Amino acid sequence: MSGISIAIIGAALCAALAGCGSAIGVMAAGKAAAGVTAEKPDLFGKLLVLQALPGTQGIYGFLTAILIMVRIGVLGGNAAELTVWQGLQFFGAAMPMAITGLVSGICQGKAAVGAIHMTGKQPDASGKGITMTALVETYAILALLTSILLIYGIQL
Amino acid sequence: MIAPMKFVTLVVLRDDREQVLQALQKSGCLMLCEREGAVRADAEAAEALRRMEKLIADIKPYKPKKGLFAENPQVESATFDTPQAEDLQTAEKLEELLSALAQNTQRCKQLADTIRTLEPWETLSEPVEALRDTVYTRFTIGRIPIAKRAELQSLCEQNDVHLQAVSQDETSAYVILAQFASDPPVSLSEIGFEAVTLPLQTGLVFRALADARGQLEETQALADRQTKELQTLAESTDAPFLLCEQYRAQSDLEDAPFLQTTETAILEGWTPEKRLKDLEKAVQSVTEIYDLSARDPEEGEDVPIELQNNHVVSQFEGITNMFSVPQYGGYDPNAVMAPWYWLIFGMMMGDAGYGLLMAVLILILKKLMKPKGETAKLMQVLLYSSVTTILCGVLFGSYFGETWHPILFSPLDDPVKMLIVTLGIGVAHIFTGLIVQIVNQCRAHHFADAIFDQVSWMLVIGGICLIFLKPARTVGIILAAVGAGIILCTAGRAKKGVVGKITGGLVGLYGITNYLSDILSYSRILALSLATGVVGMVMNMLAGMIQGSVIGFILSLLIYIVGHVFNLVLGLLSAYVHDCRLQYIEFYGKFYDGGGRLFKPLSINPKYIQIKENGGN
Repeated sequence: MSGISIAIIGAALCAALAGCGSAIGVMAAGKAAAGVTAEKPDLFGKLLVLQALPGTQGIYGFLTAILIMVRIGVLGGNAAELTVWQGLQFFGAAMPMAITGLVSGICQGKAAVGAIHMTGKQPDASGKGITMTALVETYAILALLTSILLIYGIQL
Repeated sequence: MIAPMKFVTLVVLRDDREQVLQALQKSGCLMLCEREGAVRADAEAAEALRRMEKLIADIKPYKPKKGLFAENPQVESATFDTPQAEDLQTAEKLEELLSALAQNTQRCKQLADTIRTLEPWETLSEPVEALRDTVYTRFTIGRIPIAKRAELQSLCEQNDVHLQAVSQDETSAYVILAQFASDPPVSLSEIGFEAVTLPLQTGLVFRALADARGQLEETQALADRQTKELQTLAESTDAPFLLCEQYRAQSDLEDAPFLQTTETAILEGWTPEKRLKDLEKAVQSVTEIYDLSARDPEEGEDVPIELQNNHVVSQFEGITNMFSVPQYGGYDPNAVMAPWYWLIFGMMMGDAGYGLLMAVLILILKKLMKPKGETAKLMQVLLYSSVTTILCGVLFGSYFGETWHPILFSPLDDPVKMLIVTLGIGVAHIFTGLIVQIVNQCRAHHFADAIFDQVSWMLVIGGICLIFLKPARTVGIILAAVGAGIILCTAGRAKKGVVGKITGGLVGLYGITNYLSDILSYSRILALSLATGVVGMVMNMLAGMIQGSVIGFILSLLIYIVGHVFNLVLGLLSAYVHDCRLQYIEFYGKFYDGGGRLFKPLSINPKYIQIKENGGN
């Protein structure tokens, strides 16, 4: 297997796993938000913000994938010649975002469900709910940062 | 700043109470508080308020949809005071129409049901009473699925039952069965036969059917007329909304607690010191006979607070209030928080193009929506932050995701340098929090605590930062060691016994992990600014790929617009949320507790209308 295929698998996993995490998270939050909206349609705007929160992991994963593609030249059209070891390095660099994106997306979705239920009972507390939900995202952000620094740290 | 408050005791004649309260509600400067033994007026308006809210919900389908940016109807302050007779009539008329319409709709449904049941029997030439059981014969009418018809036929022949088909539709055949009364009844339900009872006692089916059809048409026409009438009336009047708000205000008044004696009523509550004059003026507008006394809050009283900041800082108050409201006599952090929020928001967005787009969009939205209250404040915060966003965009050379002549450097090319900058911002932010806490401690004359708990940590963190700079390395090591020494010796000072003090010191020093994670948390600024930049870049790249032909060029424009607006909205949400988090957890954690409550005076807060002030009051 050539290095570039390993790097591409890494980038693909990054976008795919983080995207799955966000999809599950947003789905869970969306179900809860739909239930609350049925009773209190006025809260739609507030609930939409809460539902969107677990969606960021997918974007971070996508972002990391793009950065890898830029770095290995897949997007530009003239792909770099990578050794197997370099390919593995890119694969490894993609993993923090891929794994943390999947898990934290799901977890943030669960936190968002709680915050949505709270907003249903106390609409004024939606800001607090947003903060609580956003705390989960810290780890996705740290993973994104690790991945970005690793991707730029790899010697070509 | 937190405005000074006064506790007010107002004594008025019992007969004047209602009017005085109404005047106070209009001026909106007194927050009543409840004392033991307080009574309330009878809640009469609450019922009417519920009625109006139901009416508003009921007529909603008949009103034309309001535009997204439509304003609420305006009402003169003078007409707001008491519900007008004509408005009440209109509301009653609407209610009557609604209930008549509901009845007619119900009737239509019933008639349609009757018609559906009778239709298959339309061709029946005998009157219904001819199908009643006689001494010798038993009649059964009913329907059978078409597929089972042959089976029914053979079953009837076997049991000597006379079968007459009346009609047939797509699924069922409608039949009349006649049998000798002396024969045992044949069980037909197994093959799917279903007996039918006609909603008709006597007479011919086709006559009844024609009758029902005529009635249905008539009722339908009536219902249509009523719907039209309802639509025109609902469109032309704002009476339900006005009444709803009037009853809401009245209901709030009735809910106001007061103490009473045989002749007087006593109202107690909080008012900001500077509004004391307004309060007195409001009372004077009603009566000359009153007694008003005001005193300063006492120790341990739960005083509501009103924030008093300059125009710019006051826009950021909502962010602090969402976390926790400052306590009376405590410290209002808004003035320190606002510039940091402003700066960090700009760094997180970090794109000159998006900053400009943000400013333009918010200005347009402000013009169209004319927001009020918290929404208006939030928009203003975003508008201010667009300035730092543009500034950071120019400094780091980011324009709609494209890098162009950065003044400092581009975070995308040199993320490590940017990481150091964001961590530096974090250290400065945390130091600001610690300095605020030092000032608070000194004001409370806790000088030793300030040195042990805050200065020591500033020495440690500052020292560690200096270690990374080659020439200042020795100074850094000394500073950090001094700081760590202070913490080791003093963190356990509240504990009893030598062992407790030593372990307390060690545990205190372990707090370095908290500070470390706090500072590392600021790396999110880099992550978010990169996210905004790279997603923007991807949009540009996607649009660039298809720009070969004329159609491609038009499509690429679509990608530019949709992509960048999507990215902007997402970036705004992330920046808002994470900037808040940095303030709440990393910054406020160092010095701010909150735990107060906001000053919410007795006032008129209409949801559906706007009240136009015309001088006076």
